[in-house]
Amino acid sequence: MFLRLVFESFRRQKRRKSIALLAIALGMSIATAMIAVGTDVGDKINQELRTYSANLLLTPVEDTLDVNLGGVSLRPATEGAFISEASLVRMKEGFWSHNILGYAPFLPAPETFSLHGNTVSTELIGTYFAQPVHYGNESFNTGVRSVNSWWKVEGEWPPDYADWPRDASPAVLAGSKLAQLQHLAIGDELEVRGRKLRISGILTTSGVEDQAIVAPLHIVQQLIGRPDAVRSATVSALTKPEDAFARRNPATMSPAMRDRWYCTPYANSIALQIHENLPNVRVEQIRQVEQNQGKVLSRISGLMLLLTFAALVAAALAISAAMAATILERRQEVGLMKSLGAGNAAVASLFLTEAGLLAVIGGGIGFAAGALLARQIGRSIFGSAITVHPVVLAVVIFSALLVTFAGSAGAIRKAMRFDPAVVLRGNA
Amino acid sequence: MNRRRLFFHLLLKDIWVRRDRTVTALLSVIVVATMATVALTVYYDLESRLSREFRSFGANVIVTKHEASLTSNDLAQINSVLGGKGEVVPVAYAIATTSGNSRVVIAGANLATLRRLNSWWSIQDFSTSSHAALVGARASELVSPSGGEFSLKFGAKSVSAHTDAVFHSGSEDDSRVYLDLADFTALTGVQPGTALLRIDGSPREIQSALGQLRASLPSAEVEPVRQITQTQIAVLGKTRSVVLAASAVVVVLIMLCMVATFTSSVLERRRDFAVMKALGASNRTVNLLFASQSTLLALAGALIGFLVGGAVAYWIGRANFDAAIVPRLILLVPVVLSSIVMALIASMSPIRMLQRIQPARILRGE
Repeated sequence: MFLRLVFESFRRQKRRKSIALLAIALGMSIATAMIAVGTDVGDKINQELRTYSANLLLTPVEDTLDVNLGGVSLRPATEGAFISEASLVRMKEGFWSHNILGYAPFLPAPETFSLHGNTVSTELIGTYFAQPVHYGNESFNTGVRSVNSWWKVEGEWPPDYADWPRDASPAVLAGSKLAQLQHLAIGDELEVRGRKLRISGILTTSGVEDQAIVAPLHIVQQLIGRPDAVRSATVSALTKPEDAFARRNPATMSPAMRDRWYCTPYANSIALQIHENLPNVRVEQIRQVEQNQGKVLSRISGLMLLLTFAALVAAALAISAAMAATILERRQEVGLMKSLGAGNAAVASLFLTEAGLLAVIGGGIGFAAGALLARQIGRSIFGSAITVHPVVLAVVIFSALLVTFAGSAGAIRKAMRFDPAVVLRGNA
Repeated sequence: MNRRRLFFHLLLKDIWVRRDRTVTALLSVIVVATMATVALTVYYDLESRLSREFRSFGANVIVTKHEASLTSNDLAQINSVLGGKGEVVPVAYAIATTSGNSRVVIAGANLATLRRLNSWWSIQDFSTSSHAALVGARASELVSPSGGEFSLKFGAKSVSAHTDAVFHSGSEDDSRVYLDLADFTALTGVQPGTALLRIDGSPREIQSALGQLRASLPSAEVEPVRQITQTQIAVLGKTRSVVLAASAVVVVLIMLCMVATFTSSVLERRRDFAVMKALGASNRTVNLLFASQSTLLALAGALIGFLVGGAVAYWIGRANFDAAIVPRLILLVPVVLSSIVMALIASMSPIRMLQRIQPARILRGE
């Protein structure tokens, strides 16, 4: 009898039920989409930031000081210590392999170039542009194009060539200030140490590179006769913003705490692990990037969480209002049931069962729609989908039940308080 | 009772007698208006709020004069362009030799403002004394591994300085020794040729300040620090679009929710509608009655929602940005108008549907 009442109620009141269902589904897709976006936006922006700036700097432990003045290095190319280029890939072998998104090695050397018949002294910088690198069974592309994406090139990026044929002239980038001063244009050729280089693009970085010639690393190594040498490298690693725990010295921690510190992707702990894999390399946080991005990131995630919270409350209220509206209009039904002898408990359980059914169906539809919306937002803004964790489905169904019950309960109580006779006569 | 008074009587009486219905309809409008106000207010303020956070990144523009130093007139020009929104630190560089005959880059600047500009430096402080120096971590290993006093030579002159603090920056500054500008010029006779500028503001404001600086300092080179400015543009852009997309989703869906609630409460009043029609009310009168009720509810709901939404946005600003987001009165117009339009759409379409049915059939309960 009870099941039949529920079934008939759905069958005969299709319009009323579909409005309630619509409201629940809408509210719950808001909840799903906002939870997904709000919890994921921090990671997404973090990834975005990583493509704009490396956050770790690798230099040889035994190095002499940089002597840079006005963007020109006055240290001879052979002075000081070097890092082995081949060893760099070992940083991907640590625990945080997947957090290390890429790296770019640098080898600067002051050189004298001849072009258009006159000579120019400036720096020649060797680096990776998008070099394929192999470690274990995996390989990936890394270099300034992905690590320093604020570098702007007019023209074409040169290819990375390990073994450029001796007779062909390798492609290089000319810094924008240098190009302006020396009237360099794309396609020009310059000569250094008897080797011809062809300019394939003009580079703007607002750093020292603006006054330099930037070439593939292996060309520079050959030119200065230092195979496998790298002066420094920058690393882009996904890190967790630093907190008080991150700043503590791991040497003074208890073993359990040290494990926790070691297994959290703080910049400090990733730096320590890189140093463990590459013992003769000093790893420094690029503090300007690392320290400040954490702050910005926490502001953005905080904002999204608060907005999510506000949206959840709003969705709950909207569903409650919709549920109350549909039940309030059914007081005639309540009157009829009561005058036929139904108790308050029977009436309430009928209404709540209906509400529960609506909540489960609406919650399911809402979850699917919300997940789709979150995916689309991720795709269109970050170029990668935001996936919704399946646990959100449980949360959504549960909160849908909670909210519909809360919205119905008040209205049901109110409907039951009226005298059935008055309600049926239609003057309530 | 004339027609007009009857109309208002009906309008208000209906709102009052069925208070619970009024309350649920009102609630749904309030929720929409609140969310719309929160979303719009936060969105409009986002750029300036987040741009404030980028202050801590330090210098975002560098002014350099080659082969010459910045005159006091140049600095005055820079300060007037900035108008107090930012920081200017003139710096001079030179190469000195240490007592061990190694070369080291020394720089002269106002050390207090330099530390304020580079707030991310991890600084190990010693004592503040005369001839204080800020020593980069790598330089400190060379010039004075144990801290304390060290001497630097420049040409024939030499100066002895105290390590006031050692800093880690993770940039080439780590290889430098910063002296107070007075000590630096006494040693080298070099005046600052570079100024590190932190221009506060949104990317657009920074861009326009750059243009002004270039115009007023034709002999100097004015370059943005692309790494910082590009990051700011990217982060602001992405965050704005995410907030916009999420808010749009929330506001649109919650509006549909309100439409559903409104439609259902109008449809439930088919008896009132039929009675009115049976008593001889014209379609126009009935439409007007329902429309003005919806408008009244939407107006009240939007006003309350605007207040609540303003309070929520204020609280979000306080909780997240440590600075309240003040609601803009101008947003009241779109919030109120859209609430009314949505309420009218939500109530008029079911009315139109009812008008096609004969009153008698509704009254009979069909």
